Amino acid sequence: MRPILLSGHERALTQVKYNKDGDIIFSVSKDHIVCAWYSANGERLGTYHGHQGALWTVDVDPTSTLLATGGADNTMRLWEVETGKLLKTWDFGSSIKRVEFSPDGRQLLGVTEKRVGHVSSIVVYDIDAEKGTEQSDEHALRIVIDYSKATVAGFSYHAKYIIVGHEDGKISQWDGKTGEWLNEIEPHEADITDIQWAPDRTYFISASKDKTAKLIGTTDLEIMKSYATDTPLNSAAITPIKDYVILGGGQAAMDVTTTSARQGKFEARFWHKIFEEEIGRVRGHFGPLNYVAVDPTGKGYCSGGEDGYVRVHHFDKTYFDFAYEVERELGTNGTTQARI
Amino acid sequence: MSATLTKAKPTTDWAADEDEDDVLPQPEVIKNKDGTETHISYRINDDGKKIKTIRKIKHTVIRQEVNHRVAERRTWSKFGVENGRKVGPQSDTTTVGENIEFKPRANYKTTQAVEDKDLFANQKAKLKEAKIKCRICSGEHWTSKCPYKDTMAPEGEPGPGLGDSEEPEATQAGSLGQGGSSYVPPHLRKGGAATGERMSGGKYGERDDLATLRVTNVSEFAEEADLREMFGRFGHVTRVFLAKDRDTGRAKGFAFVSFADRSDAAKACEKMDGFGYGHLILRVEFAKKAT
Repeated sequence: MRPILLSGHERALTQVKYNKDGDIIFSVSKDHIVCAWYSANGERLGTYHGHQGALWTVDVDPTSTLLATGGADNTMRLWEVETGKLLKTWDFGSSIKRVEFSPDGRQLLGVTEKRVGHVSSIVVYDIDAEKGTEQSDEHALRIVIDYSKATVAGFSYHAKYIIVGHEDGKISQWDGKTGEWLNEIEPHEADITDIQWAPDRTYFISASKDKTAKLIGTTDLEIMKSYATDTPLNSAAITPIKDYVILGGGQAAMDVTTTSARQGKFEARFWHKIFEEEIGRVRGHFGPLNYVAVDPTGKGYCSGGEDGYVRVHHFDKTYFDFAYEVERELGTNGTTQARI
Repeated sequence: MSATLTKAKPTTDWAADEDEDDVLPQPEVIKNKDGTETHISYRINDDGKKIKTIRKIKHTVIRQEVNHRVAERRTWSKFGVENGRKVGPQSDTTTVGENIEFKPRANYKTTQAVEDKDLFANQKAKLKEAKIKCRICSGEHWTSKCPYKDTMAPEGEPGPGLGDSEEPEATQAGSLGQGGSSYVPPHLRKGGAATGERMSGGKYGERDDLATLRVTNVSEFAEEADLREMFGRFGHVTRVFLAKDRDTGRAKGFAFVSFADRSDAAKACEKMDGFGYGHLILRVEFAKKAT
C-alpha cells in the first residue's frame, strides 16, 4: 500500500471528506483554504477561497454539486463544487464546528460554538441546489443546547433524528423535524470528537478524548460495540465492504513536540467491527490524526493530520482477503455484502 | 523558437548572435521497439551549463470502469490556485509516500505487545550483560559506591591519601582524569605532556617567519598558483597562503609567501613591492612575527 501524500495545506488539517462516489476528497485546514482532490491520483482539482479564519469542517452533498464549510470566522458557507464559486454565506455569533448535509442533500446542519453571549446550537437550513445563490437566510430549525455544548452532530437515516455529541461525553437524540429532545446516553467520559455514520445511517461510531470509540444504534441509542485504545481519539470511521472500523488520534497537539513519533501513537488503528479486536495499524503521520475518512466505495481511506498532510491510502489485497476463521467457515469471508 | 528559423534570417544584431549559440536542440522523442519511449530534452541550468536529460518512459494503460458521474468530474477544469495548470498531479502538492506494509491479523494486539516486550526485554538483557566494574577495586559495583573511594583513587591515578602504595599495573597514556573529584586540564593529565608539545607547531608545522613576506592589495581574483609563480622567480617558495573568503571563495586581498632562504625573500620584497598585478599595485613587506 503506497499512500499518496497531499501537501496543499500549510497548517493542521481539521477534516477530510470523500464525496459519495469516492472520487473526490475535500480537505479543510486551519490555513483558511478548502482543497478538492481526485482520490485516484492525488491531483488537486481546485481550491475554494473566501474564508477569513481557520476552517473546522466540510461536507459535500450526495450529488457532489454543493459543498458546505464552517470555520472560526463565524460563517458557514456554501460553494459550487465544480467551479469553486461561493454561493452563500451565513453569519453567526460564534464559530461553526461541524456541518453536515442530510442524506438527501436537501438540508444542511451546522453546529455553533458556545461563546460568551452565544449559546451552543444546532441550526438547520433548507438547501435547494436549483436556486444557486438564492438560498434561504432563515433557518428551518434551531436547537439550542443549553447544557453541555455540542461538539459534533449529524442527520440519521431519512433525517429522522439529529444525533448530537457533547463536550461532557453525552450523546443526545433530537427529532429531525420538530427539534424536540428525545433521548440521551452517556457513553463517554470526555468530549466527543467525532461521529461518523454507517452507510445506511442506522448506526454510527463515536470517538472521544477518553480513548474509546463506540458503535451506537441510531434509533435506540444502544451501545453495540466498544473499542478501547491507549490514546485520545480524534476521529473514527466505519468501513464499507469489510467489517472494520478505523480509529485515528494521538497525543494532544500541544504535547507533540515533547514526544517521539513512536510514542505519540500517530497511527490509524484498524479494529474489527464485530469482534472488537485490533487487527492492524497504519503508520505515517508525524502528528496526531485529526480526521479519518473512508471512501464510500470501500476501496480506500484517507487521514488528515496535525502535521498538515493528507494521506490517501488505497487498500491492497491483504486488506480484502483478511477474515477470521469463523467468517471463513460461514462463507462470508468477512464482507458485509456477502452476508446480506 | 527553433534553431533552423533563426539561422535562416541573416541577423545583424549582436545580441541575437549571442542567442543563437545558446539555442537548445529540439527535444526528441524516440519510440523504442519494446514499447517504451525515450525522451531527450535539453535545458540550461543555473550555472549556464547545458543539461541533457534522457528519460525512458514506459506507458501502462490501466483501464478502470467508473460510473458516468465520476467520468464527467474527471473532465472538470481546475480552479482556484490550480486554475490553468496542466492535467495530472503536480509535484508540489502531491507526492507518493513510501510503501506501507499493512496486513490485518487476528491477534494484532497480543503479537504486537509481545514484539514490544521482546524489544524491551532485549534491551534489559543487554544492560544486564554489561558487567559493572568498579574502577577503584574492580569489584562488581559502581565506582561511586566503592567502599574504598575515599582512600583510593581509580586505577591509573595517584591516590589522594595513600599515595602510590598500590602501584597501578597499566598506565593509560593520555587518559582522562577519571573518577577524580576535580577537573584535570589536558596538559596535566598522565601522558598528556605529549599533547601539549604538539601545540606549538601549529597547523602548518614549524615555519620560519624570518623569510615570510606579507603581500597586501592583492586582487580578489588572485590564485595561489599565480602568486607562487610570481615569487618563484626569486628563489624556492616553501609556502603560499592566500586569505580567501569562506562564503564567496574570493581572495580577501592579502597573502603570505614564505621562502626557504631569507636573502631570496629580501630580493623578492624589493622587486615585488609596487609590482602591478591584476589592475592593482602590490605592497610587499616582511611579515611581522606572529604573537
